[in-house]
Amino acid sequence: MSINIYRKPSIALLAVALCLGACNKQIDLTPTDSIDPSKAFRTVDDLNQGLIGAYANLSYYSSIYYTSIVTDECMLPSENSSGSGFATHRWQYDGSFEHPAWPDNYVAIDRANRVLAAMDNVQAKPGEEGLKDQYKGELLALRAYCHFELLRNFAEKYESGAMGVPYMEVSDVNGSPARLSFGETMAKIDADLAAAKALIPADFDDNTRITRIAVSAMQARASLYEKNWDNAITYATEAIDALPLASRANFPKIWKDATEDEVFWRLKRVTGDEAIGDLYTQAGYLDDPGGSKINYAASFKLTNLFDQTNDIRFSAYINIDAVRQAAGKVPNVVVKYMSDDPSDRNLVDIKLYRTGEMYLIRSEAYAQKDNLTSAAADLNALRAQRISGYADESFADKQTLLDALVTERFKELAFEGHRHFDLRRYNLPIQRNPEDAVNALGAVLLEPTDAQYVFPIPNTELRANKNMKQNPGY
Amino acid sequence: MKKIQVSLLLLLIACMELHASGFAQAKINLQLKETTLKQVLNEVEKQTDYRFVYHTGTLPEDRKVSIHVTDATLDEVLSKAFSGLPITYTVKDDNLVIIIPKAPKPPVDRIIRGQVKGGPDKNPLAGVSVKVTGSAAGVTTDADGGYSLSVPDGATTLEFSMTGYTSQTIYIGQRSIVDVSLELSVKNLNEVIVTGYTGYSRNRSASAVTTVAADKINEVPVASFEQALQGYVPGLSISSVSGQPGTSASVILRGVGTITGSNNVLYVMDGIPIESNEFQAINPADIESVTVLKDASAKALYGSRGSNGVIVITSKKGKRGRVVVNYSSQYGLSALTSTKFRMMNTAERKQFEEGIGLETGAEAGPFWIYSKLNPDYALKTPAEQALADHIVDSLSHVNTNWRDLFLHDGKFMEQQISASGGNENIRFYSSLNYFDQQGIARTTGLKRYTLKNNVDFTAGRLTAGVNLSLGYSASDLLQQENTSSGVRNPLAAVYYAEPYEYPYWPDGKLVTTGDGSDYPYLDQREGSDSYERMLNSTNKEGQFKTILGTNLSYKITNHLTAKTRLGIDYSHREDEAWINPDSYAGSRVTPGRLGSLSEGYVQHYSLITTSGLTYSNAFNNVHDLEVTGLFEFLRNTYKSFGYTGYGLDARLPQTPAGIGDPGTYTPILAGAKTQNATASYIALARYTYNNKYTLNGSFRYDGSSTVPVKSRWHGFYSAGFSWEVKKEDFMNDIDVISNLRLRASYGTTASPFANDFAYVTTYSRISYGGNPGIIPYTPGNPDYDWEYAKELNIGFDLGLLKSNRIRLTAEFYNRQTYNLFFPRMVSATAGIISTDAGDANTIPLSSGKMQNRGVELDLQGDVIKNKDLTWTLGANMAYNKNKVLDLGGYDEFQYGYTGIIRVGLPFGAQYAPKWAGVDPANGDPLYYDRHGKITTDYNEDTMSVAGFGTYVPEITGGITSNLFYKGFTLSALFSFNAKVTRYNNEEYYNENPSFITSNQSTRMLYDRWKKPGDHTFLPRISAKRNFSSRDFEDASYLRLRNVKLGYDLAGLLGSRKYIQGAQIYVQAQNLLTFTSWRGFDPENGNEYAKFAYPSPRTYTLGLNVNF
Repeated sequence: MSINIYRKPSIALLAVALCLGACNKQIDLTPTDSIDPSKAFRTVDDLNQGLIGAYANLSYYSSIYYTSIVTDECMLPSENSSGSGFATHRWQYDGSFEHPAWPDNYVAIDRANRVLAAMDNVQAKPGEEGLKDQYKGELLALRAYCHFELLRNFAEKYESGAMGVPYMEVSDVNGSPARLSFGETMAKIDADLAAAKALIPADFDDNTRITRIAVSAMQARASLYEKNWDNAITYATEAIDALPLASRANFPKIWKDATEDEVFWRLKRVTGDEAIGDLYTQAGYLDDPGGSKINYAASFKLTNLFDQTNDIRFSAYINIDAVRQAAGKVPNVVVKYMSDDPSDRNLVDIKLYRTGEMYLIRSEAYAQKDNLTSAAADLNALRAQRISGYADESFADKQTLLDALVTERFKELAFEGHRHFDLRRYNLPIQRNPEDAVNALGAVLLEPTDAQYVFPIPNTELRANKNMKQNPGY
Repeated sequence: MKKIQVSLLLLLIACMELHASGFAQAKINLQLKETTLKQVLNEVEKQTDYRFVYHTGTLPEDRKVSIHVTDATLDEVLSKAFSGLPITYTVKDDNLVIIIPKAPKPPVDRIIRGQVKGGPDKNPLAGVSVKVTGSAAGVTTDADGGYSLSVPDGATTLEFSMTGYTSQTIYIGQRSIVDVSLELSVKNLNEVIVTGYTGYSRNRSASAVTTVAADKINEVPVASFEQALQGYVPGLSISSVSGQPGTSASVILRGVGTITGSNNVLYVMDGIPIESNEFQAINPADIESVTVLKDASAKALYGSRGSNGVIVITSKKGKRGRVVVNYSSQYGLSALTSTKFRMMNTAERKQFEEGIGLETGAEAGPFWIYSKLNPDYALKTPAEQALADHIVDSLSHVNTNWRDLFLHDGKFMEQQISASGGNENIRFYSSLNYFDQQGIARTTGLKRYTLKNNVDFTAGRLTAGVNLSLGYSASDLLQQENTSSGVRNPLAAVYYAEPYEYPYWPDGKLVTTGDGSDYPYLDQREGSDSYERMLNSTNKEGQFKTILGTNLSYKITNHLTAKTRLGIDYSHREDEAWINPDSYAGSRVTPGRLGSLSEGYVQHYSLITTSGLTYSNAFNNVHDLEVTGLFEFLRNTYKSFGYTGYGLDARLPQTPAGIGDPGTYTPILAGAKTQNATASYIALARYTYNNKYTLNGSFRYDGSSTVPVKSRWHGFYSAGFSWEVKKEDFMNDIDVISNLRLRASYGTTASPFANDFAYVTTYSRISYGGNPGIIPYTPGNPDYDWEYAKELNIGFDLGLLKSNRIRLTAEFYNRQTYNLFFPRMVSATAGIISTDAGDANTIPLSSGKMQNRGVELDLQGDVIKNKDLTWTLGANMAYNKNKVLDLGGYDEFQYGYTGIIRVGLPFGAQYAPKWAGVDPANGDPLYYDRHGKITTDYNEDTMSVAGFGTYVPEITGGITSNLFYKGFTLSALFSFNAKVTRYNNEEYYNENPSFITSNQSTRMLYDRWKKPGDHTFLPRISAKRNFSSRDFEDASYLRLRNVKLGYDLAGLLGSRKYIQGAQIYVQAQNLLTFTSWRGFDPENGNEYAKFAYPSPRTYTLGLNVNF
């Protein structure tokens, strides 16, 4: 039957013509598994989804990891045969080293900027105006936070005229932004934080997102790096007043996600997210200490700083394993990120801002302003809360107090991604004890003048962005 | 016309009548030799009263006749003189003889019969195509090689052809029985070239193609047929990516013509395009021939998908005649080939660990930790010292052969039964095959079951066919192979594991890291953990594949045929990966620490319809025309789904029923859907003049869903010209040349988009802390356009000496790709994450230009050819030079693992700082900076240079030898690659201070700088292991790919009542490899070598019986 069609050319032509129309339609396909940009942001809830998309890319993982392995926080035990991070631990990195903090933070910033750009086109329904403001505030604060993280990792120096990082305020796929100075970057961070604080309602208290009080904590830390001591005192006080230190009983629970005490902002981690504890120890150490390998152990240098008996921080962070010690293995196990959930031992939330740090910030700011009394009071208050039977210490002079603060920060904020930046703030070298450098192949002292003291801007960025400048020495 | 002729004739008659007189019935005597007809008539006129009247031109002037007659009549003389000429005459009353051209009478067909035999044994050949030259009429021979063909009166020659045999053209003369014997062809110069849309004989095609016949493919013990093509097709580079049974090879034709676009060759089976890289369910024994289309005139038929070359697979079809049943069987073994590098044994390891300890204090292992040489030894108590001495002593006595634990010789077995036959109306081919290959890694293997059914019908003007392939393959794979250089990959652990580590304790327990509390070990347990993991995990892949093709053609008139074809390629792949919850490997799984089970499927469904008309006609004996118009529609649909569950119950292994409570152990779900469609209008034409000159042309207008609307439709064309030089008169006397054909073609093609919607800007879903969010996903590019190529090909086929004893085919080509797809790097501040559509910080562009130029030569010769002994030698080689011509305004960008894409350099150019050796004074690694100055300051970005070659081989080829002696056949195939550099990532790990606690290559012990003055290959142990040009190694190789010895048992079988024939053979794959490459296998097709499963050496014994 169908063959007859071809006998009549007109019918065949008609068939072809019909086909032509039909086929254009047949090949007019659209993706089934992704969202059309025109449909991305239509409602206030869509804006929230875009904001969540930005939160989803925040990862403090690499900052904690690299701080631990490039500083004196950790040592490399012989039993780690993975090779992972060895060259970095030995300070053998060059421009080809791609610190994930570089792309990760800019991706989050870009997501935030896209939602901010879409904001004006989204009509809020009655009652949603407050939510819209809150989301805008969170977006601005998140943008500031990410830029601040970039600055801590990649700024040439923490000095106003030194090279900072590009500050992205609009999404630009084809841009070649140049580095602002450290001071210029900080100014924009401050501006975004201030704007955010005005928008986020005080009653919004989900600490897996950025609340108004979290913004205060962020401002306090930013002020510290800026050396704006007055602001540091103001914002740290805001934070401390809103959220007191955890009790000694509750302190270990912070790290098991069993309490929200003392935490201004944490990155919520669920199954499938990176397990922060994997950096240090194979999952399952608590269940089978003899059958688990240590990737990176707490350094003897750090371990020995603690009052191991009375300081609650020590047992919350580090376990000196008797079995391992007897077997001649490195005993200092980092247990700070081990959860109580036997199914996911190394998966816990990442705490970004805590009250403990606020005390240290305020103490340091007071000390810098030569208010030694207030400075010592804050330091002693913190220690008293952490160390059982602690007797207040008095400090002879500003320098002694500042030195004590550097050490206290080392202990209080161990494995929280601060040590590297704290040393950089005071231009102090990274120095390892010999027993911590057994497998470091000679990487014992890294001076502030060494290139590796500051992370390089990744080569890929230099290639793609003609206006980008590398940090000195690379 | 007729009227004029008649009147002219009457006028002539009137004139001539005046002279007419007497002598009728006179006797004629002639003794004429080689005389023209005109002279014959003059002589008759002299002897008689006959007068001849004819029109100028009626008598052929070049016709010379010899006539010797005595007392003959006019009739006798003229019938002799005009014999065979289209001339007749009438005698008028007045002896006037009027000679006129004979009215063309309807041709009278005659029947020619005969038998076709072939091969060295001259066995009857079934299925040979017998055709009258210049006509479409033809038949195929039956099971006994017999044929019977109705031949038109004017026909002078018959053509006999069959794939795998040299075609013959036989002058039939007056014979009614024509028996022919065909020679086996190593390289057939006149076969039919099947392109999937057309089937032109080689002498009517301008295309550059290579056909590989069944005998090269059918009995090779590989699960993926394309691996059998290696070494046979000049220009087709085939590298097995992995020796894991069933893995598809990497196939590249005439160089890489894209950067991020698709490089896949298009595979077409019986006219149906099939998925590339999914061949393990296709039975190589069902393949009749494989034709590789290389130039634009052949590829342009496939327009938007043909740019990377087309491989046309023709499956076996039934032949008219008795039902033939064939049984074949193969058994064999696969073994690991040896490597060029050697890892340390226990004694060497002791020396190494002590050395490292003394040099740096680093604890590379127990031989240092417990060593007397260790400064800590002095601090130990005497009891501790005694224990340390005991440890060192007992470890020294362990020397584990990890190869024997992880690997074994894999067994191989294949069974096949097939039947074929048919009659005038229905022909069929059916086969059943079972293939079972164990891998060399203990838990791996592939089992395959295939069924093939081809049925063809003929009913008057209607012909139709149904081709059905069903295949199921079940593979057992390794979980981490080729994706990891880590110790989890058993093939890496074989080398990394310490020689003084032994997995089993004296009590028989396999001790892993997890048993550390109860079984104190002093090594890294890397080998044991990996071994335990291999034994306690499965990675199964089941692939079900159906290829269904139906075709229907109807001869509307003798010259016009309507045809339609419908094809379905359906594949369903199921993966299952399981880790035993009761094992140490299972306890390492998070979440849950109780193993994991993942299952998933990928479903691909492709539908193609092609319909249209073909007009073909041969007229005036010199013009031969074929024109085809088609419409085609193709739609691909992909779907996938999978989950991973945790917290397994060990009592319910490998089933989702064993998965732990989803509330406690959150499972992971994944899945995707995508589709694409292409519509095409196709016009094809061929015109051959006088069997000498052929023009091929094609035009195709394609629209694809993978291109943005504004550039969605694109036209592709090609033109080709072929000239049969040998058929020219001036070549008649040049006997040394038995065949010469020149070809040239030019055309455009495109390659498909690697991603269905790369041009679309999209958002995708994500979650944070369990809350749903959305993120920008693909950046898109609304200016995305077709990546297309223009290709020029010039070639010739030359046959030398009698019956093409030496055969040379040469091709020269130049292919330029335009609108190259490549990723433009953007600043990280653009916020682009890596997606399946591209790398991080890149935007897809289609801009730029690349060139592939090359030469292909294929030389075959019959060195010895006599009754008992035939020896054929062949060599083919291809040289391809790739060059990036333009990058849309950008000069260069780094690409892939080690490469750079730079204008002026070839694709795949290796790029790294140049290694300058080791400073003998202090053991520093030295590098050249870009100014040629030696420095210790390593900076990959400012020091990297090109000039270390490319990982795409510039030279590829093969050498074949076939020897037939009486019943014996000995054939060998060598394949080679040259001018290729690969990154030896294995050595990067085997010689690296980051991995000194794992086993290392002996070079780390013997050739490492230890003290000032040492001249060594490797630097001091405390120097950073940087990636440099020393990691690039020449991966050229010459490999004895296949060698086979066969014997035909025909002579031993006697009466042959039931058994028609039988052969036995032994063959070996990858018997010898010559290379300077130090990694596992020079052949693995990637830019880097990363502990992939090496191609094994396989030995098989086979039997074929025909009933």
